[in-house]
Amino acid sequence: MESSLRADLFDPSSLAALGRIEIVARWIVDGFMSGLHRSPRKGFSVEFAEYRPYQPGDDLRYIDWKIAARSDRWVVRQYEEETNLRASIVLDVSKSMAWSGVAMGGTKGPGSDRLTKLAYAERLTAALALLLLRQRDAVGLVRFDDRIRTAIPPRARNGQWRRVVAALDDPGSGRASSAPDALQQAARLLSRRGMIVLISDLLMDLPDVERAMRGLRAAGHDVTVMHIMDPAERELPMSGEALFVDTESDLAVPASVADVRAAYKNTVEEVIGEWRAMFGSLGIGYEVIATDAPFGVPLRRAFAARQLLP
Amino acid sequence: MSFLAPWFLVLSGAIAVPLLIHLMRRRLGVRVDFPAARYLERAEKEHSRTLKIRNLLLMLLRVLALLAIVIAAARPVARWLGAGHAPTAIAVVIDNSLSASAVVNGHPLLDQFKSMARDVLSNATSADRVWLVTIDGRVHGGTPGALREEINRLEPAAGAGDPSGALMRAAGVVRSAGLDARQIALLTDGQRTEWQHPPAIADAQLLLYTPAVAPPLNRAVLLAEARPVRWTPRGAVATRFLSRDSTTYRITLNGRTFARGTAAPNEEVIVRATPPERGWLAGTVELEPDELTGDNIRHFAVWIGPAPSVAVAPGAGPFVKSAIDVLRSSERLVDGHDIAVITADEFTAVPALITAPTDPVRLGAANRALERAGIPWRFGTRRTGDATVRGTGMDGVTVAARYDLVAQPGTPAETLAVVGRDAWMVAGPRYVLIASPLTPEATNLPVRATFIPWLGSVLTERLVGEPGQVITAAPGASLPRPRWADALETIDGQRTALGESLEVPTRAGTYFFIRGGRRVGAVVVNPSADESILDRFTANDLRDRLRTDRTVVASDAPAWSSLAFRAAARRSLIEPALLIALVMLVVEAIAIGARARRVA
Repeated sequence: MESSLRADLFDPSSLAALGRIEIVARWIVDGFMSGLHRSPRKGFSVEFAEYRPYQPGDDLRYIDWKIAARSDRWVVRQYEEETNLRASIVLDVSKSMAWSGVAMGGTKGPGSDRLTKLAYAERLTAALALLLLRQRDAVGLVRFDDRIRTAIPPRARNGQWRRVVAALDDPGSGRASSAPDALQQAARLLSRRGMIVLISDLLMDLPDVERAMRGLRAAGHDVTVMHIMDPAERELPMSGEALFVDTESDLAVPASVADVRAAYKNTVEEVIGEWRAMFGSLGIGYEVIATDAPFGVPLRRAFAARQLLP
Repeated sequence: MSFLAPWFLVLSGAIAVPLLIHLMRRRLGVRVDFPAARYLERAEKEHSRTLKIRNLLLMLLRVLALLAIVIAAARPVARWLGAGHAPTAIAVVIDNSLSASAVVNGHPLLDQFKSMARDVLSNATSADRVWLVTIDGRVHGGTPGALREEINRLEPAAGAGDPSGALMRAAGVVRSAGLDARQIALLTDGQRTEWQHPPAIADAQLLLYTPAVAPPLNRAVLLAEARPVRWTPRGAVATRFLSRDSTTYRITLNGRTFARGTAAPNEEVIVRATPPERGWLAGTVELEPDELTGDNIRHFAVWIGPAPSVAVAPGAGPFVKSAIDVLRSSERLVDGHDIAVITADEFTAVPALITAPTDPVRLGAANRALERAGIPWRFGTRRTGDATVRGTGMDGVTVAARYDLVAQPGTPAETLAVVGRDAWMVAGPRYVLIASPLTPEATNLPVRATFIPWLGSVLTERLVGEPGQVITAAPGASLPRPRWADALETIDGQRTALGESLEVPTRAGTYFFIRGGRRVGAVVVNPSADESILDRFTANDLRDRLRTDRTVVASDAPAWSSLAFRAAARRSLIEPALLIALVMLVVEAIAIGARARRVA
C-alpha cells in the first residue's frame, strides 16, 4: 500500500482485513508519518551503536556521508541512549475487551464489521509501538487481564517491535481486569521517568485505578489513558427487552432498552466524565477512543501527549 | 349504571395481559452479552423511580383501555352520563285519520307527521325495537328501513280511526319487547272529537306532539241519506252541511248529477226526485274542495224500482186500510196482489203481513193456515193486559191482547219485536207475523205516528222479495255478516266473497251486497260527521286527558325528534367508554413516542 493513501485514516475493520497485525501497523504508521511536517526527535547520544537506513524526517547531520559516497546508500548513525523517552504500553486483554457490539445493531456503513475492542487495541498498540520505536524511543509492553500476561521491558533496539507484536498473540481474555497490578509492573519496568500508555475499556473500579495512577504520577511518569469503547457501549442501539450479561463479572441486568436507553446514555457520559475528571486531576491524558474511529485518531492523540514530555 | 350485555364483563380478565406483561417483563427477553452491563445497572438504579412510574403509567393506561373496551362491549347505560340512548322499544303512532289530511301551511298535516316519524326512525340503533302504529290500530314491525318504506306508503284514513285502540296496541307491543325503556311517540292533530275518551297507558312514556297552529276552516257534508232507501221510483235525498256560511252542493246518482243547490249552514236539505234509473245505485253529495277534501263528499245508496202492489184483507182492520191508502197516494204502493196484509185465519200465501185473528175462535183456523203455508210459527195462549213492545221503530207501542208465538223446532227465527221475553213480531222469508191483531183494542201501534212509515218499510223493503238493505258503517269497521248476502262488490266493480264477518273497507264509498249475482243491498262507508269538526285540544289539554304515567309534550317537531328514545332517562355509555379507550391508547402512544424521541 502506498503511504500516500494514509492508511491511518482508513476504517479500522476494513484496514484490519487487509493483512496481519504487523503489516497493518506499518501501513498505519507510514500513513501517519507522511502526515507529519517534521521529525519529532529531540536528540542523539554520542556512543555509536549501529547504522540504520535513512528514513524521511531523519536529521541530515547524522547521515554517514562516507558510506553514502562508497556504497551509494543513505544510512544514519545510531548511538546508545539516543532516545530521551522510555514508554510502556499497558494493554488490557481481559474478556470484556474481546467484544464487539455488531450483534447489537446500530452499525452502518463500512464499519458494519467492527473490530472487537481487543483487536482494535492490539493494532493500535502495534502501531503506537512502531511509531515510538521509529523515533528512537524505547517501548515496552505489559498485557494484563486478571493477572499480568506479558511484560516486555522498554527497549529501542531493532527487533523490539517484533517482540511486541509477537507478544500480542499471547493468551489473554481472563475474567477480570487488574489494572493496578499491571500499572505497577509497567512502572517497575521503567528505570527512570517515562511514559505509560494504558489502553483499556476501563470496565474496572475507578478508585483502584486512581490509586495506581497516583503512584505513577508520584514517580514522575507521564500517563496517557486510551479508553477503548465500542459505539454500542455508548448508544445501546438494540431494541426490545433482554437480559444483559457481563460475562466477565457474571453481572446480569434485565432491561427494556426503550425504557433505559436515555438513562443509560446519560450514565455512560457520567462515567466518562468521572474518568476524565479523575485523570485530569492527576494530570493524566485521557481520550475516549471508539473502535470505529480510524487509527490515526488515537495515534495523533498519543502523539500529542508525547509532545508534552519534557 | 347498569349493563345490557353483562356477560361481556367476563372479558375483563383480559386486563391480566398487560398486568402479566408488566410483572413478568423482567423475566422475558433474550440474553445479550454486554460488558458494559455495570453502566446499565447503574442507570437503572439512578433512574429506577422514573422508570417504575413510567412503566406503571403505561401499564395503567393499557389496563384502562382494555377495561373501557370491555365495558363498552357490555353495553353500559347510565342515568346522568353517556351519549346516544339506551336501547328503547318505541312505537311511533301516526294519526292518519281524515282530519290529519287537512292542509296546513300548504302541506297536509299528515306529510309533516310522516317526515317527523322518518326522522325518529333514522335515529334508531340496532339495539332498539321499533314499530309503526296507524290510527286504525294496525301495527307494523320490522327494521327502521322497512318502517320508513311503510310510512312512505301511508295514506290518510277515510275516517276517525280508532285512536284508543292504536294507543293500546302501541302500549302492548312496546311492553312485549322486554326492554326497560319503552316509549310511545304520538303524532296527532289533537282533534277534540277524536280524543274524547283516551285510554289509560301504563309502563311507557308517551311523547306527544300536536301542531300549535289553528285548524283550517272546514266545510263538510255531514249527512247524505236516501229517504226511503227504496224509491218506488220516487224518493228523496236528505243532506246537511257544515259551513260557516251558505254553500253550494251537488248531488249525483250513479255518476249523474241530478241536483245542485245552495244550502244554509246546518240546514237539512231534502231533494226529491223520480230518477229513471232502476236497481241498487250509488249516489254522492259533494261540495267544492277545501283544505280537508275527505269530507267534501258523502256517499249514499238507494234502490229504485216500481212500487209494490198490495191487497188489504177486510179483517186487517180500518187503520191498516187507511195507512195503505196513504202509502198508495204517495206512490209508494199500488193496488194489486203482490203483497197481502191479512189476518192469519184468512192467510193463504206469502208475501204477506200476517196479523193475529181478531176473534179467538178463529185461532185454530189461523194455525192451520200457517201450517199450510209453511210458516214455522203457531199462535199459542192468549194473553191480555198492557205490556210494552220493544223493537226497532216500536217506541211507545203497547199491547193489550196478544198470543204467544210458538216457534216450530228447527226454525231459524228473526224476531223484530218482543213483549217481555216473548216474541211479538217475527219475520221470515217474505212474511212478517204479528202476535196481535192491528186494532186499537189489542195494540196502540195502528194509532201511533210511526205506524205508516213502519208499514211502508215492511211492505216496500222487507216483503218485496229482496231481503237486502243499506248498512252505514265507519271505514275499517268490523260488522256481523248479513245472512242475505254472500259477496261484496267494491267501488271498482270487483266482487269478493264475504267471510264470517264483514270487514268494512277503509275507503269511503258505496259497496254493494251481492246474492245470486244480483245486488241486494249496500254498505255505505262514510267518515263520522264528527271527523269534520277540526277543533283541537292544545298539547297541554291533551296531555291532561291522556291518562299515562309519564307524558312528555314536545313544543315543536325538532324537540319531538330529540326527545324520542329518551324514555329511560338513561343514556348509552358505549361511546364514552370507547372514547376513554381511545384516549388511553392515544396517551400511551404519545408517551411511547415521546420516549422514543428522547432516546433518538
